[in-house]
Amino acid sequence: MNTAILPAQRKLIPDAVLGMLFLVSAEIMFFSGLISAYIINRSGVVDWPPLNQPRLPILMTGINTFVLALSGVFMALAVKKSAGAPRSAENWLKASALLGLTFLLVQGTEWSNMLAAGMHTNSSVFGAFFYTIIGAHGVHVVAGLLMLIYALIKNRMEPVGQNPNRLVAISVYWYFVVAVWPVLYVLVYFN
Amino acid sequence: METPHSTTHAPQGFWTKYLFSTDHKTIGIQYMITGLFMAAVGGFLAYVFRYNLAFPGESIPLFGQLDAMHYNAFVTNHGMIMVLFVGMPFLVSGLGNLLIPLMIGTDDMAFPTLNMMSFWIFLVSCLVMVAAFFVPGGAFGGGWTLYPPLSASGYVNRNPAFWSTFFSATPMFILGVALEFVSMLMGGINFLVTTINKRAEGMTPFKIPLIVWFLNIATLDFMVSVGPLVAGAVMLLLDNVVGTGFYDPARGGDPVLFQHLFWFFGHPEVYVLLLPALGVMGEIIPVFSRKPLFAYRTIIYLSLIAAVLSVVVWAHHQFIAGIDPRMATFFSIGTIIISIPFAGVFLSFMATLWGGSIRFTMPMIWALGFIGLFLIGGLTGLYLGSSTFDIYAHDTYFVVAHFHYTMFPVVFFGFFSAVYFWFPKFTGKHLNHTLGMIHFWLTFIPFNVTFFVLFFNGLAGQHRRVNEYSSFSNIMKEPYITFEKISTIGAIVLMVSQFIFLYNLFISLRKGRKAEKNPWDSNTLEWQADSPPVHGNFNPYPVVYHGPYEYSHPSSEQDFVPQDNPIVLKTN
Ligand code: HEM
Repeated sequence: MNTAILPAQRKLIPDAVLGMLFLVSAEIMFFSGLISAYIINRSGVVDWPPLNQPRLPILMTGINTFVLALSGVFMALAVKKSAGAPRSAENWLKASALLGLTFLLVQGTEWSNMLAAGMHTNSSVFGAFFYTIIGAHGVHVVAGLLMLIYALIKNRMEPVGQNPNRLVAISVYWYFVVAVWPVLYVLVYFN
Repeated sequence: METPHSTTHAPQGFWTKYLFSTDHKTIGIQYMITGLFMAAVGGFLAYVFRYNLAFPGESIPLFGQLDAMHYNAFVTNHGMIMVLFVGMPFLVSGLGNLLIPLMIGTDDMAFPTLNMMSFWIFLVSCLVMVAAFFVPGGAFGGGWTLYPPLSASGYVNRNPAFWSTFFSATPMFILGVALEFVSMLMGGINFLVTTINKRAEGMTPFKIPLIVWFLNIATLDFMVSVGPLVAGAVMLLLDNVVGTGFYDPARGGDPVLFQHLFWFFGHPEVYVLLLPALGVMGEIIPVFSRKPLFAYRTIIYLSLIAAVLSVVVWAHHQFIAGIDPRMATFFSIGTIIISIPFAGVFLSFMATLWGGSIRFTMPMIWALGFIGLFLIGGLTGLYLGSSTFDIYAHDTYFVVAHFHYTMFPVVFFGFFSAVYFWFPKFTGKHLNHTLGMIHFWLTFIPFNVTFFVLFFNGLAGQHRRVNEYSSFSNIMKEPYITFEKISTIGAIVLMVSQFIFLYNLFISLRKGRKAEKNPWDSNTLEWQADSPPVHGNFNPYPVVYHGPYEYSHPSSEQDFVPQDNPIVLKTN
């Protein structure tokens, strides 16, 4: 039986946060791949978006962009409060998750509008890219929301103060989800 | 500062100990065993299509007739399985799991549960690859590089019903590969975080053994390059299952796009496999030359440079895909430049050997074999790196011979060197020396017999991925027909002699000589732990005082100085 005690280690960045940062960097490369494919494809086409395809709802999505950004701000507040005031941290966290959900719902409504207007994944490459890029981001929002819910449940069981790294790690992911969105918005919606 | 914690208790029952274990050593061995199974699959496929090439039309022993469709599927899956399902678990996941925590002097990975999950996902991905052979229409046959439009058009069995679409060749293939990536990503995050955060006291960056450096550089390279391929694969999957037209030129798509995304990953992937194998050599050569590794720091810097360069040379795989000639020049130059860092690493190995008191142990023999073979692979790569030659040799057996001269040494010689070196550590038993030597010569010679002749067939214009070439008059004459047969016989001998290795593993585990803690008189920390290391690895945990390669130091009486030995070495 091994009874040795592992000596304390000096850590510049805690394990969980560091791991999340590496995951996020791989994710950034994933989106870079999608974006460059999109840009390369777009640069070879004269009429973009294709004439027979509906225009994208710039205004509505713009407002939605703010919703998501605000959700990121709330997340930051939750992290800030988590050390001293766990209850208010929980409230900020809930608000952040709620805004994330709103974002998702609005995007979903838009999708059904676009589908009704005749834009499909196989109606044009434009449609294919639209649904793929925006959908890929949507999947990431869902993953982020699941993490937020996980954080909420966990914090109920053991207050945040005991394991601050978990919340910080999840916030890193959520910031990433929030931060790529404006890039995708500008690239896909303004063309 | 994290609070100190005591090592977790060793798991008791069979299930938690051998199957659902979170111990990095068990997981590493699980990876390697799975890799061996997949190597048997990949090797069997190679046997079948090699036999078909030498004796076209004849019924293949243990298999039967091979038609063109199946030939394609076998070549494709052979390639993908050997690279991602044999090379990766042997060299990256397997070695990384076994060695990183021990070599940096800690108890386990940073996220043990994540580590266990990564193995199980990997196992599922292997099952998906194998299961793909049994779905209606058979496995995917569009080449391991998955180039559209072939891979996007659903030419291999696409049924109209959604679910049967999904469980057909191309989607299954993509799914298997995607799961492998997920598993690698989880493992990779573990490697990096563990190495950065869990090092023993005194283990400063330039006291870390070369192989740990190389494993981490390889992991970083993987993580940077895999994203774009996943993006490309998602688009390919959508082309297949929902009918988008990303790669379909008729609908405004662009098939060359996939080639870019694929090789952005594919080329770094070569280094992801190469670096750990070089790391193995970097551990073995100093130990058996009794000399410090030459220019240790320099080769770390060099390989960092190579890792950066490796993500900007991808298009040398596409010289004839119709890319801009100015771009081809850029990629030609990049490709030739990237051979400089690796030449540096090889020179360092040579310089380490030079004037050393070399001990011809089993691991050393394998390491020297690796160097010899890889040299041939690397040199022929220089020819192909220049686009003028490549335009002639592209897609011939010259290329096939070239990349087997690089990949086979990397994957198998790297793996065997590592097994012969670390087997005593992880099992507490020595491997049988005589059997090891027989195994070496019966791998080294048949390998050369198999692939050297293919250079000539390639230069004569024999095209790869063609199952039957009776109408090609340039190939259907002597000596090329005989070369085909020689190559196949070599391959069969090569495969059969691997049973010697399996037998050696088996017999040594049961009856082998007991291994002491440090049988090779090495410096690195894993040799200071018990053989096999207990759960938690060290008791007490080590403190590091020296670099990993202090061999034959003038101020020490022994010719080696373990990293955790507190004696003071005088430098002058
Ligand atoms: C056991 C010994 C092996 C033999 C006899 C063998 C034989 C061959 C042959 C003859 C081909 C060309 C088939 C054709 O183009 O029609 C081939 C393709 C290939 N092999 Fe191997 N191979 C072996 C081991 C390996 C290993 C260890 C790796 C990599 C780690 C590997 C990776 C590949 C790849 C990537 C291809 C290209 C597949 C494609 O064209 O899609 N092979 N192999």
